[in-house]
Amino acid sequence: MTKKEEKKEYVKNGKRLDGRGLEELRPLKIEAGVLSRAEGSCYLEWGQNKIVAAVYGPREALPKHIQNPYKALVNYQYRMATFSVSDRKSPKPGRREIEISKVSGEALEKAIFLERFPNTTIGVFVEILDSNAGTRVAALTAASVALADAGIPMRDMVSAVGVGKAGGEIILDLNKDEEDASDAVDIPIAILPRTEEIVLLQMDGLLTPEEWKKALKLGLKGCKQVYEVQKEALRKKYLEAEKEEAEPNVEATTQGEGE
Amino acid sequence: MRKKIVVPGELVSEERKKVGSHVFVENGKIYSDVLGLVYSDSQDASVVALHGKYVPQREDLIIGIVVQETFGGYIVDINSFYYSFISKEFIRDRLQRGAIISAKILSVNEINEAELGQVRVFYGGEIINISSVKIPRVIGKNASMMEALKAGTGANIMVGRNGRIWAKGGNTQLLAEAIKKIETESHLSNLTSKIESFLKEKNNKA
Repeated sequence: MTKKEEKKEYVKNGKRLDGRGLEELRPLKIEAGVLSRAEGSCYLEWGQNKIVAAVYGPREALPKHIQNPYKALVNYQYRMATFSVSDRKSPKPGRREIEISKVSGEALEKAIFLERFPNTTIGVFVEILDSNAGTRVAALTAASVALADAGIPMRDMVSAVGVGKAGGEIILDLNKDEEDASDAVDIPIAILPRTEEIVLLQMDGLLTPEEWKKALKLGLKGCKQVYEVQKEALRKKYLEAEKEEAEPNVEATTQGEGE
Repeated sequence: MRKKIVVPGELVSEERKKVGSHVFVENGKIYSDVLGLVYSDSQDASVVALHGKYVPQREDLIIGIVVQETFGGYIVDINSFYYSFISKEFIRDRLQRGAIISAKILSVNEINEAELGQVRVFYGGEIINISSVKIPRVIGKNASMMEALKAGTGANIMVGRNGRIWAKGGNTQLLAEAIKKIETESHLSNLTSKIESFLKEKNNKA
């Protein structure tokens, strides 16, 4: 590392490298129901992250010996496209992807009423098309919207956000530059927003107890913001149709692109 | 009247009410478990889902497609988690793979497997698929929507609760269009009159 890079200032006058405030998310855009062949789907853009999630099922779990007669299984698959990172990534699922799939699937299991669908499996497939730090939380956010779009009964949505430290400051939603800081701490958090129950929490790096408390508080706040965007995305399709009904002519002229 | 759209986990009512479909109670409050429309009055609270898979219920009339013939009967796809079985005992004709039947669900067990009865075989015609949660809108109040569809397209229609609609004769292409319209606008009110005018308009053009 050169000396110049070491002196990088991550926070200057309350602004970060990309001009965000300390407690500001990257721009988040969610669209539900994008794939026609999937039972539920979602496309998400979070900063530079681009993600497609698809949900299939509940459908009979096969081979039969994996079935659980008391509840449904969640088959969560997190995959990164070969072109999602600057150096080509091997398409083979690596240690990292298998781990993320496991912990994210378990996070969703907390939210879904699994006991209503015995012997079945719910397939959640998330493909990372473009990545810039925080993809596991973005993937989980997208997967949760796709599950709601599939009409699968859930106790709550799952909202997730990354929080951490760079340049000595606790910040929300780290991007790649900040994650590469020498003192960086990265904490993905996923919660059920209604009860604030934490369903996913990982961390690498070191924090003091005070910093940790601050980070957790900030993370919960961030998750709530994500939750609002998720709700908006799910309702959007129906509210648009309603608007169309109210003012059919205005809609026809203003919405040139159509759906 | 505009109905509130809720997402899973969203509050439906804070009061004590009779719980209907797609809601659950936690700490005395009623929450929705799906993305849907709230139907709540002074006594009841329920949510009508906007998406979802067909879960077999007793007494449902469903439309099935024969997948396979076995020694004693047929394996039928009922658009749910598992295939169902119908015995040859009740069917006079020999069915081919792909044959369309309607049946009533006699019972459903704890893992959602359905037992079928009152089998009828359909000859010819075609199947139009729609999300099963929208079937009540295709039928309408006192089958008003069905009447409108039949009158508007001249087709013979049979609606299965599992999201399959069998149609024969008349203008089935127009019927498919109308059903597509019902699917996309199912959450809006006055749907029957809207579909009636849609069919009238299309028929006048032709």
